[in-house]
Amino acid sequence: MSDRSLDAPELSVIIPVGARHADLEELYADYRRGLALTGKSFEMVFVLDGALPKENAALEQLSARGEPVSIVRLTRRFGESTALMAGFQSTQARVILTLPAYQQIEASEIGKLVRAVEGSADLAISHRWPRAGSAWERFRRRIFHRLIARATGQPYRDLGCAARCMRRRVLEELALYGDQHRFLPVLAYRQGFRVVEIDVRQSARDRFDGGYRPREYVHRALDIFTVFFLTRFTKKPLRFFGMVGAVTLGLGLLLNLWLAVEKLALGHALADRPALLLGSLLMVLGMQVFALGLLGELIIFTHAREIKDYQVEEIIEFSGDDAKQDGSRKEDDARLPRRPSPYLG
Amino acid sequence: MAQRPKLSVCVPFYNEEQSIEPLHAAVVEALEPLGVPFEMVFVDDGSRDNTLAIAAQLAQRDPRVRVVKFRRNYGQTAAMAAGIEAARGDVIVTMDGDLQNDPRDIGAFLELIDQGYDIVVGWRHDRQDKLVSRKIPSRIANRLIAKVTGVPIRDNGCSLKAYRATLIKRIPLYSEMHRFIPAVAWIAGPRIAEIKVRHHARKFGTSKYGLSRVYKVLLDLMVIKTVASFASRPMLWFTMLSLPMLVLSAAALTYTASAILVKQHLSLPIAGSGLVFFTSALLLVCAGAVAELIYRLGDLREVEFSALTQNVQVRRASAALRKMS
Repeated sequence: MSDRSLDAPELSVIIPVGARHADLEELYADYRRGLALTGKSFEMVFVLDGALPKENAALEQLSARGEPVSIVRLTRRFGESTALMAGFQSTQARVILTLPAYQQIEASEIGKLVRAVEGSADLAISHRWPRAGSAWERFRRRIFHRLIARATGQPYRDLGCAARCMRRRVLEELALYGDQHRFLPVLAYRQGFRVVEIDVRQSARDRFDGGYRPREYVHRALDIFTVFFLTRFTKKPLRFFGMVGAVTLGLGLLLNLWLAVEKLALGHALADRPALLLGSLLMVLGMQVFALGLLGELIIFTHAREIKDYQVEEIIEFSGDDAKQDGSRKEDDARLPRRPSPYLG
Repeated sequence: MAQRPKLSVCVPFYNEEQSIEPLHAAVVEALEPLGVPFEMVFVDDGSRDNTLAIAAQLAQRDPRVRVVKFRRNYGQTAAMAAGIEAARGDVIVTMDGDLQNDPRDIGAFLELIDQGYDIVVGWRHDRQDKLVSRKIPSRIANRLIAKVTGVPIRDNGCSLKAYRATLIKRIPLYSEMHRFIPAVAWIAGPRIAEIKVRHHARKFGTSKYGLSRVYKVLLDLMVIKTVASFASRPMLWFTMLSLPMLVLSAAALTYTASAILVKQHLSLPIAGSGLVFFTSALLLVCAGAVAELIYRLGDLREVEFSALTQNVQVRRASAALRKMS
């Protein structure tokens, strides 16, 4: 182990700062109090997603005061997943905590998440409970999570909460991109990590100002779509697309056959029958969908040896005289000294 | 490290704490008289009971045992694939962890592999399972599999199988394919033998499968059949798929063109569906081109499969060449 990792903190906190954020100084003080309760040494990595001069100045002041704050500045807005990964590059601790840039949970509850990861969990996500909000909001949330559970088979109750704690391995193995940070638990579970959901108290400041705009609904619907394809398509594309394609193609064929029979046997003219177009379009659509599934399956097939759908935790074998069980155990801190971040000056 | 084993016995375990020690003892008892260096690869498929602890203990007592520990339960195909990957022998034998297969049969498997077969499959001719829920569906599934793949195996579900390591390590295993590895391996044209094996009733634990698997097997089978037949010439395959559409659209478009020429009344549905089919055929050909690209970038080409099982006869003088094959 290198010298650098010896004085590494026990906790690394990543805070991506995007469009929606609270006053950073206040936020820092808040989180700091919460982290102090855990009794662990920590560092805090703020990722400024886009040009945020005012926030930058505030953070630099904190840093000048000797607070354990690192700042990663991105040149334009890359989105939260990329911001998280960029921040992750310059963390050192074995336990990573991601926190939102505005108060979602009571800072004093952070310890609960950390303790869960020190136990058997690889990833602890928070569930704000009890939770404020109108009946309509509660209903909307229920529907959303029910649909996600349907698609993934994993019942999560609060995917919207960004306060999560995880072992370093989790982020090392999952290269997040796009909107995937929201589904970190889904992806982590699929990768074979143990995920737990922990009830935490909601911050008094985390109240929702105004209703959701229609755009938000579109986003959430797309989220569900994404998760559905992440979990279904990436494993057995032809099983899914093949089914859909075959059914569509079959319907189109039947319709066209029926039209042909009517034309030949009953003498109904084919011209000016929109049903003919419908039948043809269905056939075409079915074929295309099937072809897509085939392409997906081909990718999986030709890369089956790289895309493993299992994760080996360790291989236990005979280790000579001083029989130690974890002789060949791969420890996650073996990889600790990380390359220097390209984002830090 | 001891000498490299010739034989690897891969056994996936899922909640089989009572079976694992008797199985280890039975394998050792059956294989030691054969005088073949062997190893056992136990794959713990995320068991919730003591399976892993017992397996780890065995590994500390017996250097021939290695235990692959999964992060969680991934299913039998994954367990088999992991076991096969971890195996170091020239011959790989897979079997169930529930003591229903008899390790005393392994000797016969080895003999057949030595005779030149690439895959040897066990046939539970005297199967000790329930008739309606297990035997009948499996018989139907086996018939179908044999029909579709053209590999006449009477019992695909029997886990006791032996493979030449060079072959099985190159066959892609994913989804639920462990039930018909021979059918998948068919893409490499292996020499397959089938022999009768003993089958015992389950002593411990519970069976982990129900009727629902037959449906999955059939779906998977169709996928494999499709992919295997199309993988190496995707362009051709897609073009064949688009051919009926091309014919249809050609007919429709010719008709429309001639109608225009003789200044007849134009039929919109015919012209329209002609165009639609034409577009679709073009798109399919494009998909074929993309598939060709994927295949070329992938790492499973037919040449490699053929190399797994080929016989090469060369002139005496070029001994160096023979080594290369």
